[in-house]
Amino acid sequence: MFPKMKIKPSKKYTSLWPMAILLLVIGCVEPFEFETETFESALVVDVTVTNEVKQQQVRLSRTYMLDAEGPVMESNAQVRIEETEGLVYEFSEIAPGLYGSDIEFGAQVGKEYVLKITLSNGRRYISAPQKTPQVAQIDDVYAQRTTNNAGINGMGIYVDSFDPTGNADFFRYMYEETYKVIAPEFKEIDLKVTGTEYPDCSVEEVPRPAGEEVCYATVLSNTINQFSLNDNTEDRVTKHEVRFINSDNYIISHRYSILVKQFVQNPDSFFYFETLGAFAGEDNLFSQVQAGYIPTNMISEANSEEKILGFFEVTTVSEKRLFFDYTDFYPNEDLPPYVSTCRPFAPNIVQSGLPPSCGALILGLILDDIVYWDENTGQIPNQTGPYLMVQKPCGHCTALGNSEVPNFWID
Amino acid sequence: MKGLITLILLLTFGWINAQQTDPKITIAYNDESLEEVIESIEAKTNYQFFYDASWLSNKTVSGNYVDTNVATILSDLFSNTVLNFFVMDGNKVILTQNNIIYDSLPTNFFNDESTVVIDEEDTKTNPLFVKEEKASKTTPVQTVRIGKEDRSNTRKRFTLRGVAVNPDTGEPISSLAIVVKGKNLGTTTNFEGYYEIELPAGLNQLETKSLGNEDIQKNVIIYNDGTLNFELREDLQSLDEIVLEANRGQNVKQAVTGVTQIKVEEIKTIPLVLGERDILKVATILPGISTAGEGSSGYNVRGGKTDQNLILLDEGVIYNPSHFFGIFSALNPFTTGDVDIYKGSVPAEYGGRLSAVFDINTKDANVDKFSGEAAIGPVTSNVTLEVPIVKGKSGFLIGGRTTYSDLILKQLDEPSLANSKANFFDIVAKFNSEIGEKDDIKATAYYSRDAFSITSDSIYSYSNRLGSLQWNHKFNDKNRGSLIVSNSQYRFNIDYDGDLDQDFELGYKVTETELKLRMKYIMSNEHKFDYGASAKIYNVSPGSIEPTGGESIIQPVSLAEEKAMEAAVFIGDIWEVNDKLLLNAGLRYSFYSALGPSDQNVYQEGLPKNDGTLLETRSYANNESIANYGGPEVRASLRYLLGKDFSVKAGYNTSYQFIHTLSNNTTVSPTDTWKLSDLNIKPQQAQQYSLGFFKNLDDATYELSLEGYYKLSENIIDYKVGADVLLNERIETEVLQGNGRAYGAELLLRKSKGKLNGWIGYTYSRALFQLDSEFPEERVNDGEFFPSNFDKPHDFSLVSNYKFTKRFSGSLNFIYQTGRPVTYPIGSYVLNGNEYVFYSDRNKFRIPDYYRLDLSFNIEGNHKIKKFAHSFWNISIYNVLGRNNPYSVFFVTQEGKVKAYQSSIFSVPVPTITYNFKF
Repeated sequence: MFPKMKIKPSKKYTSLWPMAILLLVIGCVEPFEFETETFESALVVDVTVTNEVKQQQVRLSRTYMLDAEGPVMESNAQVRIEETEGLVYEFSEIAPGLYGSDIEFGAQVGKEYVLKITLSNGRRYISAPQKTPQVAQIDDVYAQRTTNNAGINGMGIYVDSFDPTGNADFFRYMYEETYKVIAPEFKEIDLKVTGTEYPDCSVEEVPRPAGEEVCYATVLSNTINQFSLNDNTEDRVTKHEVRFINSDNYIISHRYSILVKQFVQNPDSFFYFETLGAFAGEDNLFSQVQAGYIPTNMISEANSEEKILGFFEVTTVSEKRLFFDYTDFYPNEDLPPYVSTCRPFAPNIVQSGLPPSCGALILGLILDDIVYWDENTGQIPNQTGPYLMVQKPCGHCTALGNSEVPNFWID
Repeated sequence: MKGLITLILLLTFGWINAQQTDPKITIAYNDESLEEVIESIEAKTNYQFFYDASWLSNKTVSGNYVDTNVATILSDLFSNTVLNFFVMDGNKVILTQNNIIYDSLPTNFFNDESTVVIDEEDTKTNPLFVKEEKASKTTPVQTVRIGKEDRSNTRKRFTLRGVAVNPDTGEPISSLAIVVKGKNLGTTTNFEGYYEIELPAGLNQLETKSLGNEDIQKNVIIYNDGTLNFELREDLQSLDEIVLEANRGQNVKQAVTGVTQIKVEEIKTIPLVLGERDILKVATILPGISTAGEGSSGYNVRGGKTDQNLILLDEGVIYNPSHFFGIFSALNPFTTGDVDIYKGSVPAEYGGRLSAVFDINTKDANVDKFSGEAAIGPVTSNVTLEVPIVKGKSGFLIGGRTTYSDLILKQLDEPSLANSKANFFDIVAKFNSEIGEKDDIKATAYYSRDAFSITSDSIYSYSNRLGSLQWNHKFNDKNRGSLIVSNSQYRFNIDYDGDLDQDFELGYKVTETELKLRMKYIMSNEHKFDYGASAKIYNVSPGSIEPTGGESIIQPVSLAEEKAMEAAVFIGDIWEVNDKLLLNAGLRYSFYSALGPSDQNVYQEGLPKNDGTLLETRSYANNESIANYGGPEVRASLRYLLGKDFSVKAGYNTSYQFIHTLSNNTTVSPTDTWKLSDLNIKPQQAQQYSLGFFKNLDDATYELSLEGYYKLSENIIDYKVGADVLLNERIETEVLQGNGRAYGAELLLRKSKGKLNGWIGYTYSRALFQLDSEFPEERVNDGEFFPSNFDKPHDFSLVSNYKFTKRFSGSLNFIYQTGRPVTYPIGSYVLNGNEYVFYSDRNKFRIPDYYRLDLSFNIEGNHKIKKFAHSFWNISIYNVLGRNNPYSVFFVTQEGKVKAYQSSIFSVPVPTITYNFKF
């Protein structure tokens, strides 16, 4: 196997360093205002149809200016997916830019599908036919305590898979991890702000509602993790790493679960996402990724040169869930440090000054950053606020997750 | 003309006057030079001498006079020279060469316009007045004066005698015809090369004719019996005084198109960057040669990529000719003799690169006298020494240059910078020796190295190493040969010590060794052949990356070494079809073989190369041929004279290139790695058509040329979107090979004489690439032609020097170029919940235009010959306008936002003072 090698020195400001050296002799690097009229609005097609029978979804949006916030959703489009046999699945808008199939269906292995979109302005887009690839079942998802290349100790999550037909060559992995959070400094009392305008700066003690001690947080993968079997003699995925968690990451402190999804990809979609992944990586100081437009499988009927982003991906999925406890791998070891240090402090209720105002206690409570820990009886020298407070995640687990137990959760 | 008469009439007959007021002095001198004696006389009298120092030979004189007239002393002093003297206004002594200054003109001088020489016999002296400006205007040949004019001479005919020799061999040239134009006179040399001819007094236009030797013309103004020796080379490649004349008009006369020659001496006055007199920098302000930006290494010649130039230093290849991101060239300006840049028709002896040949020659060491040169600049210092070993036969030259920027960095308060490094040096040594009459050898060694910090503890370094040995042998008058062996190596190394988990060390190395035989056969005046063969072995260590420190998460990768052989045979003929038509026809056959040991990936035919189309990995044994490429290359050009000073030239040139750089960088990381052609990477090919018109105006004072070219290339290396080329084990899956199309017109007006000289150049050119395929992943910009990274349509340059006096000169440069193309991020989008950047078509936009004005001022030390050292100061201001020219524009994603940066190198005026001296 030839792993694709990518050196990724930390990007931050390092790439500016050679220039900084030049600068002192002669040169300079400075922000460059490039014309915002270079902005081009283009359609973004975000759709992965799988073999699972479910309401399939198509997300349509448009590109936005570099300094703008978030995409513009493409509403009121007509979306349909056609199967080569003649079956047509119509989609309806269920949220702005999000279209759901009117009936539940799953892509059938070996069949071809075409995505057709007509925007509200009448522009029509069509995809190249996409064939549903072979299904390859995940044999196993397992965790091992390991040391990575960087010498860091942690938990590796691996997947094994086998396709007996030998037709599945390209894989993309995604995961959904869920972990139990226990607020270490949970108390029965909360503080409620009752006066915010000086001189009326006041709080009252109220009972803390239930469900603030134990929560469950779920996080989706945000990297493109792909694997190609093409140059392997055996059609078997063995111990492919889908996730590495540093031993000092608090998320494995109690019980951790990960749902690993393995998508079998067509070569075209594999290379599309591989290229996309190259951009997502950090820039390299020594070798840049060739920038440019990534050709997709969508085409505008009116103008074949129109740029369209995203890919109409038809894939088969196989998933498996894994649970483990911290003590399974770290018996008799201290828990990893919590996400916050949870050191109590006593902020003032009134800020002296001209004029005086309500102090950090009131402000922190309004901003929902701090929670009650104890009454101040002089435990901490020189801090005169009436209460000892901690950062919110220390007392309220809802800062990090949801108190409802997920339905898949097994303790 | 009136003014001239007045001037001459104003002269009193100084000889008589001088006699009357001539002071008497006492003076003694022993083995002193003429100049020293003149200085002594100046000190003892109120006389001032006016002369051209070059007339005073090195010969020494002795004398002892007590209370003697100065005129007498001077008569004796100049008795054995060709100098006459003339005293004017009582105290001004004017020395003249050959001729006497007369106080009156012959009566019919202005009446008979056609008469050049006064031909009447006269009872008194026989003065000669030659309307020189008229003569030289029509015949741009050297004028020599023979004999010293003697007032008592009444003869009308004088005898000229001498020998004709070949200066290269010292052998006499027999049967050389010497004829006098327009007069029925002529003679031939005898077996010893000796001749004797009676010439009428005055101007005679002598011409030589022979087989196998150059034909030259000389205007001989004969005053008395005298000697004139001819030195005739076998062709026109001679040097020295005659050469300058021969070179004059060379632009019109030679057949090769698109050739640029730069002599170091000529660029002395061009404004400097940081005090460096840089011959390759000068090249980039001539039409057709440019760089991608200030501070980028490499040169783009006529729409070619930077890796398409063959840069030769004394026949050895230099892979990276620049220091410090290209701000300095890696060539020592003091040791460099001249550079020939072939950008159109490349001689058949060169090959392996598509665009151009930079043939750089280190000057020969002085074999007669120990000499040296040094420069002290703000960033670099430079010293060159020339040491004769066997007088008149062999010598050794050594030149070194270094920067002291490290010292500057150390002085800084900022700790991160104080620890950083930025230095370079280069050293060149050359040995040249004559061995007997027929042989000579030249050996050159060269090493350059750069090292600088990337982060406080990371070091990036690269080096060039080169050695060449050349043995020239003369078989006979018609056959000569050279055997050349050269070896060069380029390497870079990155020792990266940044964030803990990212540390690594990376090394790269390319080595080549070449053996070349070059023969010259001068068949006749009409046919001169160059032929030979060469063979070259390449070894590439594409590198390995090793994690350093226990924390690094870098995976070690080591790419397999590459090996290849390149061979060629070539023949070229310079064929003078007739007086007007000169053909330069060359043919080269190049052969390349990629050799094992190697593992090569085989992909499915007709499909894009990627992981999905990989069929197998094939192993090759040591020296087993992996893939063979090659073919014939045509190097043809012709010149047709449309008039005396006007010619048209055309050329057709094809070439192959088997080694390529892999780099898609737009910022500052000079990690260009060279990759050999193999099973998957095909050689690049190009063909160029060129046509040019060359015209000299006003006796070659102005050279005007207009050249056009059209160049097509195949298998040009470019990259897929998303390609990351550094240490990629499957580089063929990231590389695209496409077509190139470049065309342009280059206009150059150059004035090389006079107080004001310089040039104006304008180039319109395009350099386009096309990456088309039926597969979208191999298609860029919809398969249409798009501008390359270095496509800069408009390029204007003005270089001008003005000589205020012999010692003071100033110059002004102005350069304008269209900004180079860039791929912009033109928006963001969200896919799968992640934000990505939307990029424009490749190179759709351009960075702002580039322009720059430089000024410089030279002050030369005085010209006294006996001074120990000759010195000059150069004061220059680079980028006077302070234009913030972006060198590159690049984009960095910081905190999830794309930010654009521009880097510029000289964004403020940069003043420099350099002190140079020569001894």
